[in-house]
Amino acid sequence: MSTEQRMSRFDYFKPRSLEEAWDLYETYPGARYIAGGTDLMVQVKNRVSRPRALISLRSVPGLTGIEIGETVSIGAMTTITDLIDHPELGGLFPVLLQAAKRLGSTQVRNVATVGGNLCNCSPCADTALALLVLDARAVLKRPGGGREIPLSEFFQGPGKSCMISGEVLTGIRLGRSGVGARAVFMKKGRVRMDLSIASAAVLLEMDGDTCKRARFAAGSVAPVPLRLSKVESLFENAVISKEKIEEAQKMAMDSVSPITDVRSTADYRREIVGVYIKRAVEKLLSNE
Amino acid sequence: MKTEINFILNGAEVSVTTEAHKRLIDVLRGPLGLTGTKEGCGEGECGACTVIVDGRAVNSCLYPAFEIEGKNVTTIEGLQGIGNRLSVIQEAFVENGGIQCGFCTPGMILSTKALLDSNPDPTEEEIRGALVGNLCRCTGYVQIIESVKAAAAALKKE
Repeated sequence: MSTEQRMSRFDYFKPRSLEEAWDLYETYPGARYIAGGTDLMVQVKNRVSRPRALISLRSVPGLTGIEIGETVSIGAMTTITDLIDHPELGGLFPVLLQAAKRLGSTQVRNVATVGGNLCNCSPCADTALALLVLDARAVLKRPGGGREIPLSEFFQGPGKSCMISGEVLTGIRLGRSGVGARAVFMKKGRVRMDLSIASAAVLLEMDGDTCKRARFAAGSVAPVPLRLSKVESLFENAVISKEKIEEAQKMAMDSVSPITDVRSTADYRREIVGVYIKRAVEKLLSNE
Repeated sequence: MKTEINFILNGAEVSVTTEAHKRLIDVLRGPLGLTGTKEGCGEGECGACTVIVDGRAVNSCLYPAFEIEGKNVTTIEGLQGIGNRLSVIQEAFVENGGIQCGFCTPGMILSTKALLDSNPDPTEEEIRGALVGNLCRCTGYVQIIESVKAAAAALKKE
């Protein structure tokens, strides 16, 4: 039978406001919000998810757009392509641009959104790693209120965010501390378009030989996109020598808990994370 | 749950009544009878279902039908050359061995069109990057890359 015939049935709504979206969410238990749909439609097709209704956020105003000011705001419904094509964003945060360019394929990037990439809560989410090292904050809204939390608190497990029922991620906010910082994103896939086998993002703020601030994040090697806080502590206010880098590499490998699955083995993933941490640091230091 | 959706398809306004769980590919191949768009995987990985929506290549197998309202869609059937001939991109694929079984071809050609429409002079790296989401089991991709280069050169002459 074709996919068309096997596709689960669901209702599809296009609310024109957050209030309408929240109402629909209340009215239809078992409904899910849909952004670009490039993850969710696959889950529905494979019956991993069987929502009774999909509530599209595409027609809700105020969820797209990138504002550059004292802080930088990225609307959750911004497509990956629009993020890449933004005339200023990539220049301010090259690591985010690098990650976005490695997400999926052209076709996927034209439809997938930053918010969707995050809310899917996959440990391999490409934009998550870059946003984590940039100390991004997630802006969440629900009826009667809103909150802003560090992105590092957003991910609770594979497919599980900290959002409470009905809450919507409306955007990401970035401070200026990441602007101009040396940072790099690295991703290993089996082929060019792939979910990562292992990935890493590193940001370093150096003062001569001493590291003033370090951010390390690893993907696909833990239940969530993972900040490597032990490695960060190792680096901060330390002189970065060859030995320090080797220590960081070992520590990174000890900090992660990869699994073996169809894409790769736990051992290989662990190895790659270590290699990426080392290469990333060496690359960032050599550019001086 | 049914709705009538109205959009522009290959330059003409169309109106289709469809159900909430249908995808763009279902609407194109079913009620609209345009079977040039192929379903290879249904998961947005192979690109055989690629169509162009508002100038951008998308996987029609993941695109909810209800979201196509008001949009501008180009399928492989929408490509035409002068008179009854194939379009420049299609001719380039034919002449450079970019087609064997032909199943990936509509998607390849539309991804190529989307690329060349926005970047008429792509490097080989850019071509490979643009086609990352289009899989081919027959050609080994070499002739496809050459076809794209030939198409770019031919379009520049026009």
